[in-house]
Amino acid sequence: MLEKHHGTALIEAAGLRRTASGMAAPHDECFGQGGLPRPQWTGMIEAIERLGAARLNARWDEGLRIIREHGVTYNVYGDPQGRDRPWSLDPVPLILSAPEWRGLEAGLIQRSRLLNWVLRDLYLGTQRLIVDGFIPPELVYSNPGFLRPCRGLPVAGQVMLHLYGADLVRSASGQWMTFADRTQSASGTGYAHENRKVVSRVLPDEIREVSVRSLAPFFRSLRSFLETLAPGRRENPVMVLMTPGPLNATYFEHAYLARHLGIPLVEGADLTVRDLRVCLKTLEGLQPVDVILRRVDDSFCDPLELRTESVLGVPGLVQAARAGHVTIANALGSGLVESPAFLTFLPALCRHLLDEDLLLPSVPTWWCGEAEGLRYVTSHLDRLVVKPAFGRRRGHSWFGHQLAAADKTHLLELIASRPQDFVAQECVLPSSAPVWTPGGFERRSVLLRAYVATDGSEHAVLPGGLTRVAASVEDPLVSMQGGAGSKDTWILRSGQDDDEESATAIPDHASTDRRLTGLPSRAADSLFWLGRYTERFEQYLRVLRCVLGQLASDTSPESSDRDNRLGHLMAGIGFLLTTDPDDGPADLTGRILDWIYRFDGPGSIPDLMNRIRENAAAVRDRLSGDTWQILDRLVPQPKVPTTRRSIAHAHGMMQGLILNLAAFNGLAMENMTRGPGWRFLDSGRRLERGFSMTTLITAAAFVSGSPTPLLEMILDIADSGMTHRQRYFARARWPEVVEMLVRDVSNPRALAFQLSALRTHLEALQSEFRVGVDDRWSALIEGIQGRLLSAEFAREIPKQEGFDVHTLIALMETCTQGLAGLSDDLTQRYFSHTHPQGPLTHPHPPEA
Amino acid sequence: MQHLLYDIVHVTEYDYQRAVSVSHHLLRLEPRRTPRQLCLNHEFRIFPEPSVVTSHGDYFGNRAHFIAVEHPHSSLSITSKARVAVSPAFLPDTSETPAWETVRSRCRVDRTWGALEANEYTHPSPLVHTSPEFADYALESFTRSRPIFEALSDLMARLQSDFRFDPTATTVSTPLADFHRNRRGVCQDFAHFFIACLRSIGLPARYVSGYLETDPPPGFSKLRGVDASHAWVSLFCPGIGWIDADPTNNCYASLRHISIGWGRDYGDISPVRGVLIGGTQQILRVSVDVSALSPEASADISLVTQVLAASEAGNNEPSTGGSNTPAPRNS
Repeated sequence: MLEKHHGTALIEAAGLRRTASGMAAPHDECFGQGGLPRPQWTGMIEAIERLGAARLNARWDEGLRIIREHGVTYNVYGDPQGRDRPWSLDPVPLILSAPEWRGLEAGLIQRSRLLNWVLRDLYLGTQRLIVDGFIPPELVYSNPGFLRPCRGLPVAGQVMLHLYGADLVRSASGQWMTFADRTQSASGTGYAHENRKVVSRVLPDEIREVSVRSLAPFFRSLRSFLETLAPGRRENPVMVLMTPGPLNATYFEHAYLARHLGIPLVEGADLTVRDLRVCLKTLEGLQPVDVILRRVDDSFCDPLELRTESVLGVPGLVQAARAGHVTIANALGSGLVESPAFLTFLPALCRHLLDEDLLLPSVPTWWCGEAEGLRYVTSHLDRLVVKPAFGRRRGHSWFGHQLAAADKTHLLELIASRPQDFVAQECVLPSSAPVWTPGGFERRSVLLRAYVATDGSEHAVLPGGLTRVAASVEDPLVSMQGGAGSKDTWILRSGQDDDEESATAIPDHASTDRRLTGLPSRAADSLFWLGRYTERFEQYLRVLRCVLGQLASDTSPESSDRDNRLGHLMAGIGFLLTTDPDDGPADLTGRILDWIYRFDGPGSIPDLMNRIRENAAAVRDRLSGDTWQILDRLVPQPKVPTTRRSIAHAHGMMQGLILNLAAFNGLAMENMTRGPGWRFLDSGRRLERGFSMTTLITAAAFVSGSPTPLLEMILDIADSGMTHRQRYFARARWPEVVEMLVRDVSNPRALAFQLSALRTHLEALQSEFRVGVDDRWSALIEGIQGRLLSAEFAREIPKQEGFDVHTLIALMETCTQGLAGLSDDLTQRYFSHTHPQGPLTHPHPPEA
Repeated sequence: MQHLLYDIVHVTEYDYQRAVSVSHHLLRLEPRRTPRQLCLNHEFRIFPEPSVVTSHGDYFGNRAHFIAVEHPHSSLSITSKARVAVSPAFLPDTSETPAWETVRSRCRVDRTWGALEANEYTHPSPLVHTSPEFADYALESFTRSRPIFEALSDLMARLQSDFRFDPTATTVSTPLADFHRNRRGVCQDFAHFFIACLRSIGLPARYVSGYLETDPPPGFSKLRGVDASHAWVSLFCPGIGWIDADPTNNCYASLRHISIGWGRDYGDISPVRGVLIGGTQQILRVSVDVSALSPEASADISLVTQVLAASEAGNNEPSTGGSNTPAPRNS
């Protein structure tokens, strides 16, 4: 009667169920013998049928929304559209039974132990494995992954492979096999965790009904393993997660993991080696770091001893490790054994070192560096996939059966010329699982990446993993760079796992003690500039919106006079509109629209958006999900067709962007703790707003004659028009404008307000860090502020129209200089750690 | 047997146009012990004084010094002073050396220590790739079953006539292929090319960094600082060991060749590496002075001989102090 429970349209229509299974067919994850669902899938299939297509779609839309909201992205290299591509996740998980998982777990732990042992022999030991013939010397000595400076570096607890990843495929016979080991720095645990978070919101009841194991304990183990392995078993060690930066494919995950583990996300430039210790450059000074969880490839970690051209590393890191002052996970050099050529030798190594058979076999792999392997590959090319032996990350693969005869000959020549650079693997047809698409279910190939963490004595296996799904039905290949999707991975709970918490419980480390680690200088720098650029952008948008409003409101003949004034005003504010009639539209409207829709140079809308996103990305681990979501919307629009370009359209666009920025400012005000990070963000904003205001006042004063409409516009730009109308019931005149926009300490747009906020920030920062800006600048700001607020200055502004603007312009000029000096000095004092680094000139070619 | 004592002063000076806030350096300047050479004394004078000086044996057994200057500085001066005793190299009777193919196959299959160590030097390295062109050039000298030293001498002689020494033709980063094409360069190019030729036919060859004592022109007294650092090549032959050959000068290493150390290529044994934080343009000055001590100054030759004998018996090599990491090497 199973048929009755699950035998319905959704599954049948997709033809997912097969009744006959030929040997050549891939293994079906979902259905077994006679087309009956495998026991671990029955609950899910029932749930799917219960939901039906419409509700499944609705649930899935919800999932996509969450992914967008969380800003889950994956960067695709070499694709201009590829930056921050939304993560792709299927709602239906891959489900594995408890007994099956127990088998896999044992195999994964065994491989982790084995590879760690091999690494120890090659880096810490006597290379017995080479001497005794278990590993050919070429495999190590001509392997770019063998980092000679790392030979003999002390390693805490003899662990080199703290986090190991295995890429698994299930063959047609149902056997799981490893086709690649990930020992460098296995990516994907963060995505796996995020997938669970999304799916448990989309299928909340289902995940409880089928009783799925939780991922949370694994991350706690990982963290505690790393703590245990801190040098000298220090209490409460300081840990950091080291990332190559926002351009890396999996940067989202780096920020996510750092937040989840409760440790700071740092780039190489945030760290420095002093007195043989790795230190984090924070505003409080240099803070020693004990443990580095790295996502930077080992050879890029130290430009002094490893790749000299690397700008991602920390000069002296190898020496700090040599002195035993830092634990690096995975240990430097551990990338060596992920070379595919090692797969050939693992079965014998396992018997030799562990006296066990390899539980989780590798996909059969031949290394051409051995005569036997070369012979086999040459005569069986059709059933093999050829790869570089020393696994350069995105190395090319050749599928023998897809090659034309000439290409095959060419490949064989290439192999013959450098046999040791190639391996070949048997093509394994991956198993398939149902994937939900807008058109219903499809059967697609799946691969699973599984993870093991260890401290040398204990092992923790992530009960789940990152399941990757082929991009289409026809495609048996699965590559994230090639556009594959992903699935959550459910491991069913058995009686033995009863100490587990619920699968949906997401531990929150966000509140983890951060006292030990201060604000990295680079993060402070980015927050400061984030404040400046968002404010600058807002000011631009306000000016444009206001000007567009004016242009739309009046098209009478006198308007050319007005256009002239507006043009001058905008030039004064710094909008470099083309004035050459040959070089674009002659009229102001045309030129402004041109600026909005076409200009993309420095200071343009797309440019500012990029700067905002770059700075936001650099501090992503410090921004709340909501904040990130808002900033993430600031993406340059695709080209607006000429026919749609209009004042009204542009006005709407400005309006939308201003509201986004207002939301960002609101979140920053309401959600950020008033720590140094917020102070830098807000200082940036106050400085920029101060600049904008002096520029605006100066520009308006120059355009002078100061006709009322212009002053009213300035009030509108400064969001103070309504207050003016309420307060004065009159047309705008200079004295009131100066009062409101310059002197009024209670108006958050006024110059005096910015100066007073800046002073508060500077004092707070000074008392926090015992480093202050140069007295010159604080004195100047104080002086200007005093001047602005003085009764004298009030008297200098006559109550009449014939007001002499020069005093005002001169004061604005002083103010601009003061703010600029302050900004430079602030940068110098607080962010000077962020100097670029460079290599030393090589002495010379020896001369003789 | 005649020994010679040398005093070597090697000064490397950098001027930076803007102050460098922090710099880290790795120095490979202390002459290592070899079967024919002993460093009796070595010291550094570094200005400004580094915050950290520490040394370790590197992967290849050379002594490396890590220094860090952790305060702003606009120049750096590194003076390395060494006193080294050198004895003549043993040179086998050329015709009695094995056929070169024998050496090649020994280094491929033999897992005993010497041959396995040599295996490492048969592979391409970052600055020395192998290619059929290099192999073709080498095979003109390495004819079938030719004794390896005969072939080696022939290859050196051909290099001498085919290539020109020209300090203006290359820089420290000129690719090997350019040198091969233009046929001009300095000792580093000669050494790299020679290594590439040997490795391209499966023979083990390493890059040696060191000094060469130079003669003043006849009738002139020697000027200070005119010597230069030098580079040559070492080839492994089972049963004999590593033999140093100087392709730039078409000769085998003599009493005038003083080794600092070796690696797969220049990158492994460059005398000064460094990373600067905050620095800008750099001006570099190097001077090297190699002076042979007069017989009176090195009167007690027998003492030196004793020291050499002791060192060959495996006593500890002299060290300049600092915390040592065990030399990571097979044994």
